[in-house]
Amino acid sequence: MVKFTAEELRASMDKKHNIRNMSVIAHVDHGKSTLTDSLVAAAGIISQDVAGDVRMTDTRADEAERGITIKSTGISLHYEMTDESLKRFKGKREGNSYLINLIDSPGHIDFSSEVTAALRITDGALVVVDCIEGVCVQTETVLRQSLGERIKPVLTVNKMDRCFLELQQDGEEAYQAFARVIENVNVTMSPYEDEKLGSCLVAPEKGTVAFSAGLHGWAFTLSSFAKMYVAKFKVDEAKMMERLWGENYYDAATRKWSNAKNTASPTCQRGFVQFCYEPIRRIISTCMNDDKEKLWQMLDKLKVTLKAEDKELTGKKLMKRVMQAWLPASDALLEMIVFHLPSPATAQQYRVENLYEGPLDDPYATAIRNCDPNGPLMVYVSKMIPASDSGRFFAFGRVFSGTVATGNKVRIMGPNFVPGEKKDLYVKTVQRTVIWMGKKQESVADVPCGNTVAMVGLDQFITKNATLTDEKAVDAHPIKAMKFSVSPVVRKSVACKNAAELPKLVEGLKRLSKSDPLVVCTIEESGEHVIAGVGQLHLEICLKDLQDDFMGGTDIIVGPPIITYRETVTTNSSHTVMSKSPNKHNRLYMEARPLDSADLDPQQPTVAKTIDDERIGPKDDIKERGKILSEEFGWDKDLARKIWAFGPDTKGPNMFVDMCKGVQYLSEIKDSVVAGFQWASKEGALAEENMRGVCFELCDVMLHSDSIHRGGGQIIPTSRRAMYAAQLTASPRLMQPMYLVDIQVPQTVAGNVYTVAYNSGGELKEEANRVGTPLANLKFYLPVARSFDFTDKLRAATSGQAFPQCVFDHWKIMPCDPFQAGSDSGKVIADIRKRKGLKDIITPLSEYEDKL
Amino acid sequence: MDDIDARYEVPRTADFIRSRAYTRVALQFPDEMLRDAAAVARALRRELAGGGGGGVKLFVMADTAYNSCCVDEVGASHIDAQCVVHYGHACMSPTSNLPAFFVFGKMPLDTNACGRSLLECSRESDKHILVLYGLEYAHAIDDLKAVVAELYKSHSGSVEVQYADVLCSVMSPSSAAEREHDQSDGNTHSNDVSIQSDGVATFVNNCCNVEGSKRKYNLGGLTWSTPIDDNMEDYVYYLVEKAKDANIIGILVGTLGVAGYLHIIEQMKYLIKAAGKKSYTLVMGRPNSAKLANFPECEVFVYVSCAQTALLDSKEFLAPVITPFEAVLAFTRGREWTGEYLLDFKDLITTEKPEISNKTEEARFSFIKGGYVEDSCTEGKEEQSETSLALAEVTEKALSIRNLNNDAVLYQGGANSAIDYLKARSYRGLTGEYEGPAPDSVLTGRTGRAAGYNHETTKSAQ
Repeated sequence: MVKFTAEELRASMDKKHNIRNMSVIAHVDHGKSTLTDSLVAAAGIISQDVAGDVRMTDTRADEAERGITIKSTGISLHYEMTDESLKRFKGKREGNSYLINLIDSPGHIDFSSEVTAALRITDGALVVVDCIEGVCVQTETVLRQSLGERIKPVLTVNKMDRCFLELQQDGEEAYQAFARVIENVNVTMSPYEDEKLGSCLVAPEKGTVAFSAGLHGWAFTLSSFAKMYVAKFKVDEAKMMERLWGENYYDAATRKWSNAKNTASPTCQRGFVQFCYEPIRRIISTCMNDDKEKLWQMLDKLKVTLKAEDKELTGKKLMKRVMQAWLPASDALLEMIVFHLPSPATAQQYRVENLYEGPLDDPYATAIRNCDPNGPLMVYVSKMIPASDSGRFFAFGRVFSGTVATGNKVRIMGPNFVPGEKKDLYVKTVQRTVIWMGKKQESVADVPCGNTVAMVGLDQFITKNATLTDEKAVDAHPIKAMKFSVSPVVRKSVACKNAAELPKLVEGLKRLSKSDPLVVCTIEESGEHVIAGVGQLHLEICLKDLQDDFMGGTDIIVGPPIITYRETVTTNSSHTVMSKSPNKHNRLYMEARPLDSADLDPQQPTVAKTIDDERIGPKDDIKERGKILSEEFGWDKDLARKIWAFGPDTKGPNMFVDMCKGVQYLSEIKDSVVAGFQWASKEGALAEENMRGVCFELCDVMLHSDSIHRGGGQIIPTSRRAMYAAQLTASPRLMQPMYLVDIQVPQTVAGNVYTVAYNSGGELKEEANRVGTPLANLKFYLPVARSFDFTDKLRAATSGQAFPQCVFDHWKIMPCDPFQAGSDSGKVIADIRKRKGLKDIITPLSEYEDKL
Repeated sequence: MDDIDARYEVPRTADFIRSRAYTRVALQFPDEMLRDAAAVARALRRELAGGGGGGVKLFVMADTAYNSCCVDEVGASHIDAQCVVHYGHACMSPTSNLPAFFVFGKMPLDTNACGRSLLECSRESDKHILVLYGLEYAHAIDDLKAVVAELYKSHSGSVEVQYADVLCSVMSPSSAAEREHDQSDGNTHSNDVSIQSDGVATFVNNCCNVEGSKRKYNLGGLTWSTPIDDNMEDYVYYLVEKAKDANIIGILVGTLGVAGYLHIIEQMKYLIKAAGKKSYTLVMGRPNSAKLANFPECEVFVYVSCAQTALLDSKEFLAPVITPFEAVLAFTRGREWTGEYLLDFKDLITTEKPEISNKTEEARFSFIKGGYVEDSCTEGKEEQSETSLALAEVTEKALSIRNLNNDAVLYQGGANSAIDYLKARSYRGLTGEYEGPAPDSVLTGRTGRAAGYNHETTKSAQ
C-alpha cells in the first residue's frame, strides 16, 4: 500500500537537493487538509478513493469533529518522479526520487502560532486560496509571516469545483475571478519583498500558480495543459504557458493568436478559457449528465483510461474519478513544489541571516549556510508533539546543519539562554530519532541536515522550543526565537474540584504549555492558575486538552474569562506632586503626562505602539531614539536624551524622563527611582494593572546630604508613591483590549451582522463587497470584554453563515472617569480589585502625595 | 493600688518569684502598659517584701527590639536576670534560656452581652462557633462559658460553641525536660483567624464538610481544634512559586529569643544553598518597606520570627516576605504542598540535614515565567575552585557578567549574587580622579542626630 519504505525515505534524506520542506498555509476552510490528502494519497499512504475525505493530517478526534485543523501535523513523503516530468527542471538534482517533508497547518486565526512554528522549519509554502472567497484576513497574515521568515510561496487557487458546479461561471468570469485572487496575493506580498529571497510574486504562466479542487483530487498548472498542446501548436512548453494566461486570445476560426480580443469574431476567446477552462467544463458537465458515450470519446482523445469498475460509476463519483485520472492533483502540485520551492541547500543560504543569532561567519553559521551534514549540529525544535499514550512528548524540529543521531549527546539551549552562561542550558541524550510517515512513526538511526525530525528523550527540558547543538559546541549561539503574530490575551483561571488533586493540575498545566506553541500557564497573585490563549477557541481547545489528555479526565473548575486592562493618563498632571521619603528628609517632585500629545494624527502609530514594535527601546542608540521621537512624535530632542528607563520589565510602553536641573546626588538615586518606576508601571494605582502610554517626569529632587539617608530604602517606595500621585492627578483612565473582527458573509445577512456587532459595542472599520461574489467583507473593532458570546450571537442571527475571526488589535481608552460613581470603568476597577483581593476603593491621592 | 494588684496579678507573680527563689527578675512591659510599669514594680516589691522575699531585684524592660509579644531574652540577660515576667499580650513562643512568667492583664468584659451576641450569631448562621479572645480576657472565659450554656438552655439552641484555651502561664526554657504542655500536634492556622480585642472574637469556621479527623491549632497562646478544612491559602501558594524563581534570598532575623532560631536560620541557609541560590542574613528588627528596600537585590525574604508575627502583609514591600515553612516548600525540589500550614518554625527543625537529590530528572517548571527554568548551580562553582585554572575561570565569568543587560539584573532578578547586582548599578560611587594627591586638612564634621543635625536646627530656628 505505502509506496515507499523507511529505508528509502532515509536514503533520500541524504540528497539535500532533492528535499523540499514545505508547509501548507491558508485561511480557515480554504481546503488545506483536503488538498494535502491528494499529496498523501499519491505517496500511497491512503488510497485515491478516499483522498479529500479522510483529512489524513487531522489526527485528533476534535479536529475531525469540528472540521478544522487545530495542530500542525508533519508528514514525510517520498516520490519517484519520471524523467520526462523532470526534463524541464533546471535546478540541481540527484536522481529522480524526491523527499517532501510537508506540514499541514491550521487556518483559524487562533492557531496561527502553529503556523509560525511550521514556517520556521520549512523553506517553502503552498498557499491555498479559495477561488470564490479570495484572499482573507488569515491568508494575509500567513503570507506576511512566511515572507518574514523568508519562506518562498507558491499558490494554488482551490475549490475549482465550486466554479463549475455551484456558481456555473462562464470562462471569462472565472478567469477574472482567478486573476483577481492572484493579484490580491501579489499585492499582499509586495510590501514584504526581500532582496535575498528574490521575487516571490506568483504567476500562472511561470508555473507558480496551480488550480485545484482538493475535494475531488484534481489540479492543474498551466504547464499540464501546455504539454498537451505543445504538439498541436508546435511551440515549446514555456511559450505555450504564456499563451494560456493573460491577454492572449485565440480565434478558433482563423487559428490565430492575438493580444486583444477581437470582438467581431465570436470564436475568438482567451487562451485560458479556450484551452483550459472549457475542456474541464465540458468533461465535468458530461460526467454530471451521465452522457457516457460522449465521455468515453473525449477520454480517448485525452488518452485517459479508466479502470473497468470505475466506468460503472455515475454523477459526481464518476466525475471525481475521471478528473483524478485526467488531471491528478498530485502531479500538478508535485511539479510545482519540486520546480519552484527551494531545496534546503538553496534556502539555507539566504535564511541563515534570519535564523542564526550569532556572528554570521562562525562555523555554525557557515554550516547552516552550506547545509553541511558533516558540520556542527544545529537543530531548531519548533514545537512539542504529545505522544499518544505515555504522556511524553516528541521534540519536533528541523536539522539545519550536521546530523542528529540516536544516542547523541546534545546541548539544549532554551529561550532564556545567554551565550557564556549556564542559564537555561542542559546536556541530554537523544534517545531516539523518529520520522513521521503518516499516522505512524518510524525510528531511524540518524537524520541529516535539511530534514524535519522528531526526537524522544528531550521533553523534560524543553518547554516549547529550543536550539540543539553538539555537546561540546560551547561557543554556539542559539537560533533566533520565533516571532508570533498573535498574543495570548484571553485568560481563564483553572482549579481542581478537589484540592488534593493540585499536583495533577500542576503536572497537567506543565504538559499543556508544552503542547502548544503559545499558550501561557502562569499563576496569579491570588494564587489561581491561569491559562492564557489567543482567542476563545484556542482557550477552549487548551482546556479540553488539559482535562482529557493531560489530567486523565480529572474534574476542573474553569473560571470566567479574565480580561487584562491597562492604566493610562489622558492629560498632564494638574500640578507637580511631591512625596516625602519615610524619614521625611528626601522629596521627589513628579508629573505624569500621556506619551502622545493630543494633537497627534490618530492614524499614526502611538509611541506606545512604537515601543511595542521595538522600534524604540532601552537598548537603542540615544541619537537614533531622539531622531525617531523628535521627527515622528514631535518630542524635544533634548528630552529624548533624558529618558531614564522604560517600564514595566525594562522595555514596556511607559517612560521615565529626568527633567531636573542641577540636582546634587541625582545619579546616586537613579537606580532606586527607576526601581520604583518599574514597580509602579507594573502595578498602577487604579487596579494594579500594567500602565501603558504614561510618561513620568522627575521635576525636582531634594535629597538628604548623607548618602545613608537617601538609600534605596528611602527612595524606592517614595518614587513609587510619587508616581501614583502623579498618575492620579493626570486624569487616569483604563484601557481595554480591542479585537479586530473579520467577518465574511453573504450580503443578504450583512444587516444582521451589523446589529449584533453594534449591540456588542463594536464599531465598523470597513466594509467591502467582494466583486463577482455575493459575499461581503466586514471589519469591526470589538471590545474583548464583550466578545465572549459574540460568536454564538452572530451564528444565531445569521443562521450559521457568519464565522468571525477575532484577533487582538489595540488598546482603547475607556472614556469614562473611573472615579465617577457608577461609571463603566469604575465598575471594571471594582471587579479587578475584588478579584485581586485589594481594598474596594482606589487609594486616595492624599495617601501618596505629601504636603510640604 | 488594689486595681493594679488585681489587674497585673501582683500576688500570683510574687508567689511565683518566691517559690523559685529568684533574686534578679526582669519585668517586660509592652508600650501600651508602660505607664503602669513603675506602679507595678512598686506593688510587686511591696508584695515581695511583705511575704519575706526581700532582696529581690526588679528591672523594668521596655521598647522590645522585635515584638513585645516575645520574651526579650537578650535584654534580660544584659541585667543577668534569672527570669522574665512578661506583661500583656504574648505569643507564647518557647524561650531558649530563661524561664518566663506571663501576666496577661485583665480587661473588663460584659459576659452577658457577649453571650447574647453569640446566641444571635449562631441563630443567623447554622455554623459552628469558635470563640477566640485576646489573652487579656482569658480571666472572663469561664464566666462566659457559664452564661452561654445558660442562654442556650433557655433558648434550646443546639449549635456547638467551641472555646480556645490558654496554653499556660509559665514557661521554662525548651531545653528543660519538663515541658509544661504538649505541642506535638501543633499545626497552626493562619489568615482566616481574626483576633478582635474589642470584646469577643468569634471565629466562624467557614467549612462545613466535617471529616473524621480534627486539626489542632495554636496561635498567640491559644489553642483550639477544628475539623480540617481544605481551603488553600492561595496567596501563599503564589509566594511559594515566586520564591522558587528567586536567585537571592534574604533571611530576616525577626527574633533573638524564640527557642531554636539559630538552628532554623542555619537550616534555611543550608536549604537555600542546596537549591543553588544565594542567601544573605539580615538583622533589622521589625521589617518595614523602607528597611527592606535597602536590599533591592534580594528577590524574596524569609522571615524567621515567632509564630504570631510570622505573617507580614508584604503587599507594600518591594519583595515578598515568606515564612520558613514556605521557604521549605519552595526550596525543596519535588515537594508538593499538601495543604497543611505551619507557622511555628520549631515544627520545621530537623536534626538531620535535608538530603539533596544530586541530579533531578526534570528541569523545574516556573509558573511565574510559564516555562522551564534552571537554577544556576552552585555545586559547579565549588568544583571549579579546586582546579588550578580557578582564577582564569573566575575572570572569564567576570567578563561575561559585564556583557549582561544591566536593566535585567537590576529590575528583573537576573543577578546571582549581590556582587552581580552591585556591579550592574549605574552609580558606583565617587570616581578615583582626585585633583591633587595631597589629602585635605581635617575638618570638624557635623554633630547631632540625623533627624536634625545641630547646625540644621539652628538654621530652622532662624
